[in-house]
Amino acid sequence: MIKTGILLSLFFCSVYSQAQYPGYVLLNHPETFKKSFARATAATESIQSDFSQEKSMTMLSEKIKSTGKFWWLKKDKLRMEYIQPYSYLMILNGGKILIKEGQKKNIVSANSNKVFQQVNRILIDCVGGSMLDNPDFQAAVYESSGSFLVELKPLSKNLEELYKNINIVIDKKDYTATAIEMFELSGDKTIIRFQNKEVNAHIPDSVFIIP
Amino acid sequence: MLNASCNQYRHMQKIQSDESCVQKLKPVFSHVIYKISVDVLGKHISGLLLIKYMPDSSTRIVFSNEMGFSFFDFGFLTGNGFKVYQVVPQMNKKALIKTLRKDFELVMFRNMDSSKYYALSDSNLVYHAFPQSNGINYYITDPSCRQLVKMQRASNKKPVMEAFMDKGSPGDSPDSISIRHLNFNYSISLKKVNPLAPE
Repeated sequence: MIKTGILLSLFFCSVYSQAQYPGYVLLNHPETFKKSFARATAATESIQSDFSQEKSMTMLSEKIKSTGKFWWLKKDKLRMEYIQPYSYLMILNGGKILIKEGQKKNIVSANSNKVFQQVNRILIDCVGGSMLDNPDFQAAVYESSGSFLVELKPLSKNLEELYKNINIVIDKKDYTATAIEMFELSGDKTIIRFQNKEVNAHIPDSVFIIP
Repeated sequence: MLNASCNQYRHMQKIQSDESCVQKLKPVFSHVIYKISVDVLGKHISGLLLIKYMPDSSTRIVFSNEMGFSFFDFGFLTGNGFKVYQVVPQMNKKALIKTLRKDFELVMFRNMDSSKYYALSDSNLVYHAFPQSNGINYYITDPSCRQLVKMQRASNKKPVMEAFMDKGSPGDSPDSISIRHLNFNYSISLKKVNPLAPE
């Protein structure tokens, strides 16, 4: 009887996870994934890529799209440059953040704003591969034929008020992120997809300079 | 100081005018995205502002940052209704929401009760006044009422906020809008974005 119950709950758990993320199955023992992922990310020094971003507002039947360029250098340097349809530059380097819109520059300390710090850390952690160790989130790992999906549920109150969950889609071939999906409490979601990725290409430090 | 405390509208002459001419200057916000910059008390926030006319005749205004995270989603309903669909805890302040609501109501030409309308003349400008439950909204035009020079939200004595619009093509939304508060350091700047074509 107990065995049947366990089997049934496993079955429903499996069906549920597949329904939640079509094509994906929950990994009940993600240790193998974690090891392979840690090995791959340890060998990743830099990533540069193009990205496309799409914000979907369900209630308004609306999608807002943008595109740009992305650079990441181990361990905590990140540059995101939105090019179309608006220009916006964000550089994270150590504890500093540079925001440039048009000709207007703004430098802030990430430490001065806890929420901003947490949100920025999400990006760095997602790309750098340390999100599984981020204490602000509870992680679950799903697998499909071509990719893994790491679902991050916020644990800290600040982030719980902002995001329902954040998912990172990881390519099975090189264990780098192909997409980051951010789900807001309202039901809106934003997906950033990375294209034309170059792993471990030389990126000069000047790309991340914050004057 | 003396100038700031006295009634800045007292010297103006009441004139006969037709409020319908102001309605003709009303901007169209059926569906538009603006790049938005907000400077408030030394802090700077930027992002995108979507203004969309909905099938239920309401107009939704959604402010999100460049990375897609929504700060607020307000609905301006038929009549003078207003609904907060969503707001982040950091911006969920009654006074802030009330100020944003009033700012956008002025720019969207809402709450224009023709029964309370009157007009004032000041040299080469006409102040079309629409009294609100608290204060007055002014649409300031040239004497022929063909061109909107600026908008003001005012107490009974003096303006508290000014807004300017760069009118786009006829029947289209404004190319840019700027809002400047006069009693504290707070301004909003909007510049139209041409969205990427759907794939």
